[in-house]
Amino acid sequence: MKRVSTDMSNNDMNYHLRAREKKLNDIQNKIAGQTRIKNLRDDPIAASHSVRYKSHISRLNQFADNIGVIQSRSRIAEGYLQEAVGIMNRINEIAVQGANGIYQKSDTIIMGDEVNQLLNELVNISNAKSGEGTAVFSGDKSLSNAFRTLEGYVDGGGKSVITSVEYTGSVNPQSAEISEGSYIESNFPGNRVFWAEEQLIISSVNSDSFIVKEDSSILIDGEKIDLKEGDNVHAVIAKINDSGVPVKASIDPVKNSLMLVSTEPHQIWLEDAGEGNVLKELGVVSTINSKPPHNISTEARISGGSAFDMVIKLRDTLYAGNTFDTGSGALKGIQNSLNHLISRTAKLGAGDERLELVKNRIRFEIPEITAMDSRETDIDLAEAITELKMLEHTQTASLQTAARIMKPTLLDFLR
Amino acid sequence: MQSTFTGLEIGKRSLIAHSKGLTTVGHNITNASTEGYSRQRVIMQPFDPLYDPGLNRENTPGQIGQGVTAVSVERIKDELLEGRIVSQNNMKGYWENRDKYILMTEQIYNEPGEFSVRSMMDKYWESWQDLSLNPNESATRQSVLQKGETLIAGIHQRYNSLKETRDMADSDIAATVYQVNSILSDISNLNEKIVKIKAMGDNPNDLLDRRDLLVNNLSSKINITVENRDPDEFQVHTEGLHLIQGRVVNYLSTDVDPVNEGYSRVVWDKSGEQAFFKGGSLASLIELRDGDLREEIQKIDLMTVNFIDNVNSLHRKAWGKNGTTGNDFFREYPFVTSAEGNYDRSGDGEFDSTYIFRVSGTNSLESEALIGLRGTMTLPGPEGNIDIDYFPTDTVSDVLDRINNSQAEVNAVLNNENRLTVRASTASDINNPDFAIRHIEDSGEFLAGYSGILQSSGRDGAFDWETAGASALLMAGAGDNNGEFAVAPLSHPSGWIEVNRAIKSDPMSIAAGFGENGRPANPGDGSAALAIASLRNKPLMIGKLSSFDEYFSKTVADIALKGEEAQVSLETQNLIMKDLEDMKQSISGVNIDEELSQMIKFQHGYAAAARFISEINSMLDTIINRMGV
Repeated sequence: MKRVSTDMSNNDMNYHLRAREKKLNDIQNKIAGQTRIKNLRDDPIAASHSVRYKSHISRLNQFADNIGVIQSRSRIAEGYLQEAVGIMNRINEIAVQGANGIYQKSDTIIMGDEVNQLLNELVNISNAKSGEGTAVFSGDKSLSNAFRTLEGYVDGGGKSVITSVEYTGSVNPQSAEISEGSYIESNFPGNRVFWAEEQLIISSVNSDSFIVKEDSSILIDGEKIDLKEGDNVHAVIAKINDSGVPVKASIDPVKNSLMLVSTEPHQIWLEDAGEGNVLKELGVVSTINSKPPHNISTEARISGGSAFDMVIKLRDTLYAGNTFDTGSGALKGIQNSLNHLISRTAKLGAGDERLELVKNRIRFEIPEITAMDSRETDIDLAEAITELKMLEHTQTASLQTAARIMKPTLLDFLR
Repeated sequence: MQSTFTGLEIGKRSLIAHSKGLTTVGHNITNASTEGYSRQRVIMQPFDPLYDPGLNRENTPGQIGQGVTAVSVERIKDELLEGRIVSQNNMKGYWENRDKYILMTEQIYNEPGEFSVRSMMDKYWESWQDLSLNPNESATRQSVLQKGETLIAGIHQRYNSLKETRDMADSDIAATVYQVNSILSDISNLNEKIVKIKAMGDNPNDLLDRRDLLVNNLSSKINITVENRDPDEFQVHTEGLHLIQGRVVNYLSTDVDPVNEGYSRVVWDKSGEQAFFKGGSLASLIELRDGDLREEIQKIDLMTVNFIDNVNSLHRKAWGKNGTTGNDFFREYPFVTSAEGNYDRSGDGEFDSTYIFRVSGTNSLESEALIGLRGTMTLPGPEGNIDIDYFPTDTVSDVLDRINNSQAEVNAVLNNENRLTVRASTASDINNPDFAIRHIEDSGEFLAGYSGILQSSGRDGAFDWETAGASALLMAGAGDNNGEFAVAPLSHPSGWIEVNRAIKSDPMSIAAGFGENGRPANPGDGSAALAIASLRNKPLMIGKLSSFDEYFSKTVADIALKGEEAQVSLETQNLIMKDLEDMKQSISGVNIDEELSQMIKFQHGYAAAARFISEINSMLDTIINRMGV
């Protein structure tokens, strides 16, 4: 028969009370802290999941913020573009009207004046600043104006007018991360937006015997294209065409020289990387080292201009009263620029739509993952309180029994 | 012939025996709550009856009883049970300590919560995202700086807390060794007394209880076995060695271990040889200090060193708003000042080793390209070097995966220029330094000509840290501009990580853009900020873990699982101990009711004997006074 010593009931009571008080304390802490995981050991796997979820949520929030910023930027840009489209439409009307042979030179000069005013406004728009004070259309040179104007006298103009507009921004678009590993451009280089024609560059250097002398790279529109030692001109052309830049290279059949055409209207930026001189040897880039876009070799033939060039051309034909030119080249140029501006606006809208989709997905994802995190770590209050109540009852019961068992000993009955 | 006074003698013996009994009952009752006390019983026997066979034997029928005598006082104790308690108490001591320390470590993590290193790092990456959106602003740069400093404070805090915990374990070890020694000396003193008392034929019950208690205490600190076969020589063993043999004691002592950062080593006092234990609080403390806590510090170090290296190598290439470039974002403290990584490990005045943390190849690789090569790479493993084979049908990423999934204490990734980069991780052997590549060798061409890390394949071209100037065997060390290598950082990067002073004094040095073709970045160029921000979830290989996300969730799971194990084991052990203690109490514990009934028994016995004496007294009175002689 098992013997029970006097200490045992005391020890038992202590042991159980201690265990239960620890449980009570734990559950009270968990209820107060609203978490199932007071210490990591309470549920190791849930804790490690929760850590991932929390980082993921913070990342999603950041993406949502990024999208907000990009959206407001692209909407501002879109606003300016629509204004530009409006102006170009008006210019187009004037061009159509001016191409009509019934006007006299004095009339077309007035039309030219209007075009000149509209040109000024167009330049203003292209130099637009966003709410943050940064230039909208200057690539990543966000603190300077996108376009620079030169003024001079033009026949029939009477006063100093804009004679050329040069792009002073850069080709590097700013990008932002909008979801895990996916990026979108948040800035719109003006030499793509305000361009009218495909640009064509033809070198005047015969490239038959050209060979790349050492491993080097060239930059086209800021994209790096690696060349290997021993590549001939055909290999270089193939590499340019495979690189994905909107430029197509070929051999000019007349001079056997390198010919580059942009596949969509924009200004082509060419440069040798570092110390390389492949493009210089091919006669495309001038040997005097300067930054694009003003580094095209003087020997090379270059054509294809910006929307401003087209407007200036129209204005000048109007000033000159040259109805024939107005109706042919100038009108075509205006329509090209108008079309391109509209397609750029559409592209912005498409980008905005993509952002909207991603934003909606993130909006949907954040509460989903928060719910998952909550399932892992948050306390089920009903369950916790039930457990607390149960523990309280057993605590009371065991205290009562203890008080009852421990009271009488033989001592109470001895006299 | 029977004496007239025999009755008185019998009565007296009974009085003495019963009062001894009463005294013992009193002793039991008063010691009812003494720890380790075993109840005692007076063993009563009938006194030798008359007569023994012999010539002077009276020729009367016998034998005539001569009353009672108390032959001995014995303690009631189960020695086998005591043995089990000793061995289980050892495990309890082990888990008790482990539970306590792991819980402290868990709490250092502050997870899952707002103030963990992870959430500080999340905020740091977010500040880079903001900078990538507004690269021309000063305010976003201030925010990057401030988030960086908060993160560093968090990393320092984690490191310091872990280090404090480790120091605490170390001083606990010294204290435990002191306690063990004082218990040992107490036991040996008791042994001496016990032997003396036993020689007198008495039972030293209370001293035996005290010794059992001490042995029990000792077993919670180190693993021991008790041998009680020789009554003159009580022996305590640990790991096959004598701790106590009668009066002779083998004491423990501590000395400084230079390999283990000057922490103390437990040694035998006499021989100076290292002492090893398995269970108990001492073994658990040593295991915590040199195992779990060291690993925890290594983990935060590993994360920090990879973090610094990755952020800096991007930041260095980018341009600040003030037009400076080549700035580190975080300050790097190299372990050696020599640019080649040469170091004098033996301290004899000549370089004898090369400490290199990272080396990258000269060739740009494609991760999905078939390598078409066959060979065996030899890389450092936890115990000696390990071999990793590769075959012509492998792609580059297959080979990298094979390196990263192996036991090798290096990892391999393609860096942002797609060059193969090998980084050292932590060393599991305490004798090897952390963050130093110990060996690179390839029998084929993968690590040599293909990726451009080594100049030549085979044993002759192998890089080994135990030769000075070994970095000259690397392509990068031979002056090839494309490859680069970095010397090992000072140990415990999480302790010294700081924002570079140039960045702190002028936050405009914080770089946001890579620029183009060697020209400074334009104000709106956020490419570098974006590249740094996306380090967050890139496969960088932090040791064997692929990304920061992976690192944080894995380390949390690791420590939490250890905590759970410790808690469950401790609860189980407590339960086992409680059952054993209950059994012991059931046998040896004092029950007051029982003692009181014994007391009543003895009281009555005493009263009866007194009554008997008074009866004999009246008989003698009759004989002496009433016979009228």
